Amino acid sequence: MESQIKKIHQQLVSKQITCTALVQEKLDLLKQNTYKSVNSLLDTLALELAAKVDAKIAKGETIGLLEGIPFGIKDVYMLQGTYTTASSDLLKNYKSPYTATAIQKLLDAGAIPLVKENCDSFGHGSSSENTIFGAVKNAVNPELVAGGSSGGSAVNVAKEYTVFSIGGDTGGSVRQPAGYNHIYGLKPTYGRISRYGLMAYASSTDCVGPLAKSVEDIRIVLNVMSGKDPKDQTSIASTEISEEVIATSTIKKVGYFKNFIESDAIDAQIKADFLASIEKLKAKGIEVKELDFFKSDILVSTYYTLAMAETASNLSRLDGTNYGNRIEAENLIETYAVTRSENFSEETKRRIVGGNQVLSQGFSDEIYLKGLALRDQISENFSKDFEEVDIILSPVTPSTPPKIGDSLKDPLAMYLSDAYTVGFSLGQLPTLTVPQGTSTGLQITAAKNNDELVLKFANFLKELI
Amino acid sequence: MSKTMTVDILSSIKGAQPSESVNKLFDVIKNANSSNDNAANTVNRNCVLVSNLREDVVIESSAIEKQIIVENFPNKKNGFLVVAKVIEG
Repeated sequence: MESQIKKIHQQLVSKQITCTALVQEKLDLLKQNTYKSVNSLLDTLALELAAKVDAKIAKGETIGLLEGIPFGIKDVYMLQGTYTTASSDLLKNYKSPYTATAIQKLLDAGAIPLVKENCDSFGHGSSSENTIFGAVKNAVNPELVAGGSSGGSAVNVAKEYTVFSIGGDTGGSVRQPAGYNHIYGLKPTYGRISRYGLMAYASSTDCVGPLAKSVEDIRIVLNVMSGKDPKDQTSIASTEISEEVIATSTIKKVGYFKNFIESDAIDAQIKADFLASIEKLKAKGIEVKELDFFKSDILVSTYYTLAMAETASNLSRLDGTNYGNRIEAENLIETYAVTRSENFSEETKRRIVGGNQVLSQGFSDEIYLKGLALRDQISENFSKDFEEVDIILSPVTPSTPPKIGDSLKDPLAMYLSDAYTVGFSLGQLPTLTVPQGTSTGLQITAAKNNDELVLKFANFLKELI
Repeated sequence: MSKTMTVDILSSIKGAQPSESVNKLFDVIKNANSSNDNAANTVNRNCVLVSNLREDVVIESSAIEKQIIVENFPNKKNGFLVVAKVIEG
């Protein structure tokens, strides 16, 4: 698909549409929608901003490319004065006192926030069912899950209620819902976009990621949000990616993980479609190499061990005194315990408890420290792979989206469904889901800081598959 | 006095028990082979160099930020923010 941002920009500049009418139309669609993709609408703010854009155009002033473009925000980002609930009971009345850096950069570029979007509570889930606002329905088939945790964001983009949305990806939370709803979703290199103002889930893999309907829109939004931020010391400097540079592909060598495709867990159709895509690459003269990688259960276990340990620590501040709805009990310790017991979902509690298990004396050596060592080996494996290939291609998920209700019954199956996304998170690599190749898309991954190559290959695939 | 703290105490979650599903994940790690190759342990370091640390500066919150922080606080009485009663005895 062509760039929606450029198309709308042109319509605004040529006065085919007004920004107010555009924003009102999207707000109406969001308000009426039955996909449960909305936690709160930012209608007053959005219409105020739209009026300013219209006034500027009426005066004949030049507007920037993102000026007046409506977008959505996963409900884990701070936007001053708006509710930021993380889809949880604990924070259902919490108002952002400040604005996240990534969101502020979009506001500074003139983009208009429309909605705080439904997601798994604190990012804890792969289906967007772990939420107090009701399970998000898949944009393609509403009986199925939207994927998660950024499910509301993916559905809003897929249904064109927003032009783009900003999700968060810790172990696949942008890429997997993008795949389930047939759109693009990028997890950039870790640190490329500041996480200041994103509610922390697992700090060592948390990434800000855009979802959109075209590679070009992903590029535009990525460029605006990227950059070093003194408020997030893990953020890194990066150079802007130009449209011209990613227009033509110079990629010669592509690899894929043999064990992902030979696994018993992969759906037969996804496997066949993936291998057909590989054949198309070969037919174009691209050298394709089968790569060895860690077993899926090791990847999933390493990821969840570290993510649970980190979330146990990050969520310890949610105690009804520092943050959140307090439930008073007879003393401070009881107040903490009752507040957290009543206000956290079952899945969030499962992860906090798991995290505290692996961090406890006696367990940390054989689980947590071993998990850290495994992560180092996984990164080392990636470094070696990228000496041999430019791009690693992978399915996004082993299976098609489950029916709403099924994932909550079987947490282990839900964890294992992240088998193809978590490895790239542990490696902190740039990975993009494209809505092609299999029914839940393909993941394109490059070496760390090589986000440009990922977008370049996505453009190449657009023509090929 | 026992120094062992159970996960419900560590997590401040009443009646919390380890989950069977999560324990299965941990069993995979326990049984995994991790190499002792120290060279591999330098790959994933993301520490920030001391020379790259930002200066410590005090930034005054804006009036609106302060107002929202107060608004978020769960309990207020006579103009004071009220915390839960600390443990007695």
